[in-house]
Formats: sequence, C-alpha cells, structure tokens
Amino acid sequence: MKKFVDDPALFVHDMFEGIYLANQDTLEWVPEYNILYRKNMPQDKVLIMQGSGSGHEPAHSMIVGQGMLDACCPGNVFAAPPMDYVLECTKILARTPNKGILHLINNYTGDRMAWDMGKEMAEAELPDQEIGVVIVNDDVAVQDSLYTVGRRGVAGNFFVIKACAAAAEQGKSLAEVVAVGEKVNGWIRSMGIALSSCTPPAKGTPIFEIGDDEIEVGVGIHGEPGRRRDKIRPASDIMDEVFTAVANDLPYEAGDRVAVMINGLGGTPISELYLLYGLAAKRCAERGLVIAKNYVGEYCTSLEMQGFSLTLCKLDEEIEGYLNAPAAIPIRVF
Amino acid sequence: MPMETLSQAQVDTVVLTMADVAIQNEAHFSELDGVMGDADFGVSLAAGFKVVKANWASFDHSSIGSALLDVSKAITANTGGTSGPVWGTLFMRTGLAFRGRTELTLTDIVTGLRSAIEGIMKRGGAQLGDKTLVDALDAIATSLADSDASGQGTLLAAFAKAADAAYAMRETSKGWIAKRGRQANTGERSIDTYDPGIVAVGDMAQAIVTALSA
Repeated sequence: MKKFVDDPALFVHDMFEGIYLANQDTLEWVPEYNILYRKNMPQDKVLIMQGSGSGHEPAHSMIVGQGMLDACCPGNVFAAPPMDYVLECTKILARTPNKGILHLINNYTGDRMAWDMGKEMAEAELPDQEIGVVIVNDDVAVQDSLYTVGRRGVAGNFFVIKACAAAAEQGKSLAEVVAVGEKVNGWIRSMGIALSSCTPPAKGTPIFEIGDDEIEVGVGIHGEPGRRRDKIRPASDIMDEVFTAVANDLPYEAGDRVAVMINGLGGTPISELYLLYGLAAKRCAERGLVIAKNYVGEYCTSLEMQGFSLTLCKLDEEIEGYLNAPAAIPIRVF
Repeated sequence: MPMETLSQAQVDTVVLTMADVAIQNEAHFSELDGVMGDADFGVSLAAGFKVVKANWASFDHSSIGSALLDVSKAITANTGGTSGPVWGTLFMRTGLAFRGRTELTLTDIVTGLRSAIEGIMKRGGAQLGDKTLVDALDAIATSLADSDASGQGTLLAAFAKAADAAYAMRETSKGWIAKRGRQANTGERSIDTYDPGIVAVGDMAQAIVTALSA
C-alpha cells in the first residue's frame, strides 16, 4: 500500500484537520467526534446533518456549507459514526434556534442503529428539540447486501441533501423538508461498477480482490459485492447494462425531466467520466428523457477505487428549483 | 416488595462484574459463537467492556443513570458488529430510566430492564423466542417482577432467583431454532446449540449475585 499518510489510525483526523485549516472562515471542527459544522450557523431554519462513514469524500465532510449540510459527523473509514458522534453533533446544532434538526441517514444496518441510538439519546437530553429522519436507499444493484437490509444508500444521496437543504434555506418546516427528502429519495436510482478495489489506510490491504481483466457489476461504496463479477467490456456495453438497470427501476415517460450524475468512485480520471456521461446522455435521448441538470465528477467515492456510478434523479418543477438553488461548500459551488 | 434498595456503589459492582465476565470469557464466548456464528462475539464484547473498565474513572458518576449512559457510549463505540448497539441499548435505556437516581428499588430495576428489552427488540428486530439475549433478559425481568409482586425475601434473594432463571433459559433455549443474528443463518442446525448472548447474560447474572453477596 502506498498512500500519503502519517499514522494510518489518524487518517480521518488528519484529513479533517486539513479541511478545517483550509476553511476556517466557514467551518468549526470538533476533533473528538469528527464533527464539522458551519461557523455562522443560520438561525430559524431546519438544520441538516449527515454522518455515514469516511472514505466517501467529498461526502460528507467536504459538503458542509450554505445550501448543503449544516454539520457532519462521519465515523472512521467505511464505519458508521458511533452514536455519541450523532448525539454531540445534534447537540451542537440544537444550540442555534432552529425549525428542527434533520438526520439524513444512508441505509446501512450499522448506520441505522447508531443514528437510532443517537436520536434517542438526543431526544432524552433535548426534550424540546424536534428531530426528523430521512433514509436514503437509491442503489438498484441488489436488494439486501453485506451491510444492509434493503437497498443501499449511495451517490443519489447528493440529491436528497441538495433538495432538503434548499427547502430548509427557504424556511420550510421540518415536516416539509422531510417530505422533500422522501420525495427525492423515491426518485433517485443508482448503480455502480468497479474496475479496482481500494485500501482503507488503517487496514492496509485491499477490501476485496479483483483481477486485472475483471469488473464488479453493482459494487457497493464499501466494496460490497454487487450483482456479479464479469470481464471488462467496452464502455458502451457497460453503460447499456447500468443505464437499463437504473432507468427501468422507475416508471419514466418520454418528456420526463431528469438530472444525470456520473459519479467517480475515487480513482477514475475525469476524461473517462465524461466519456461515460456522453454514453448516458445518448441513452436518455433515446428514451425521450430530457436532461435538465448534469453532474460529472466525484460526489461519493470509495477512497481510490477505479469505477463509477450512474444516478438518475427524476425532476419536477419543485425539485429542479431546489437543485438550482445556490450553495457554497469547500470543494465546489453548485 | 423487599424493603432494601440497590445503592449506587452496588450498581457500580454490577457493571464492573459484567465487564469482568466479558473479559474473562473472551475466548469462551467466541468459541460458542464459532459453533454457528462468525466466532467474534467474545472478542467484540470484551473489546467494549475493556474500554468501560479503562475509562471508568472518567465517567460521570453523579448518578446511576449518568454513569450507565457513559457505559453505553463506550460499549456502542467499541464493540464490533451488532453487539455494540444491542449491548449499548441495554445500558442506554437503563441509564435513561435511572437518570438522577442514586439508589434503585426492585420496581425501578424491573422498569429499567423492561425498557431496555423493549429498546433492544426495536433496535435489533428480535422477538421473544428468537433465541437471543432478549430471552435471557426477559427471564430475569419476569423473575424480578414476580419477586417484587410477592413482596417476600431480600433484594439479593430476588437477584439469585433471577440469575437462576437466566441460567435455566440457556438450557430451555438450547432446543430452539435461532431466528435472529448470525446464528439464524444456519436455520435448523442451530438446534442443540447454546446462544452465546444468552450464555453471557446468564454468566453475568450469576457473577453479579456472587459479587453482591461478598
């Protein structure tokens, strides 16, 4: 394993330190609980937080800012946050007068339990604080998997965060923001392909083995097995399979407006991502789907894994408006 | 109802005894888990309780509840797999039930245990009879509630009776099919095996009685 790292056990801490030092004008950092939160926390709106594991950057530690998350509390690499991270992060948000706190949770068994416990503790300590929950589960590849009951939450998570945050900035109530999140989650579908494995720094070895000529079809963002192991094929063939799986999972009609995301899993050059976008765009056109927004780049990664995921997000006027709302976060302005 | 109460110092003994049992039986519990599961239960449980012992002095000991909540955080953060949230919920629910308290009646203990059992069932999805530690905890709570209702005997006698009930549950449940946790993957092959969680709760209950009698 070759990585730019000092003490592998402190990898996440040291990454957070860098994020904080680069963004001291907008972020506060609580090292004990992997918490980053907005320095000038806006008042009287729904405040949104997410955790999940580290190793998926820019999700979630690099997307705290106006129009996106108000705070994040991820666990170690590919590990759910311990419940006290959730509790402490909730308590920090609760210090600001708000219209409720929203827990956005990707659907993994460990995350579900940790957030459930953190919420229960927070409700006991903060009896007057309203807390809402939205579960994200957009991965069409497999029904149950290594770490889930039901579908996994993957890159489509971005659309839920963006829409909920925009609704919150507009002053919507907690119930309204939760409804937006559930609507978007119902309209996102994703699937990923891996060309290579990845190595969590503290583990030191790849999370799975894959041959030079092999691909994992439907890979999870922690390297969990997908639908099957296959041989590498032309990009068009791969996109045919992924696009069909994603687009057929939701009833679409010709003329429907969609957002298309080609998400890099960490080790794929932007050139290949745009090549893949072209293939996806042509398939949208063949179906009569109108691409209203496109996203090509890294949104939810698996460390240095080579691979990509495709997400389609169905749009209506409301959701498209939320996606178009301004946002300002450390890595990118949407 | 027995007249005495369980003091905060005695609750401390209960927790530290549980920790000792988990740590001393690390290999044994993993071995039991290895029969039908993935052989990590003992290691996971010991890892969590080792942190509880190591950090014990730094916990908030202003009440029984505050200390139990700190135990819960340490267990949840340091116990691998689903054992973390499950055992963490045991201490979280009792901690919430005993907030601000410095002594407990038998009625309090039953209330706290019932809340913990309800929380664990909600969190892990286990039902009574699924052959999980919930069955052992339920045997203890039921026995303690019976003693409480009878109003006879000492607190320690009620504990001893409850520990025997937990011990009996390991034999009763041996013939059951596991329906939750890793053991459940083996279906009927889980018949005639001990569930490691049920065994651990029984061993802890027996050790608690011994420690409180000392």
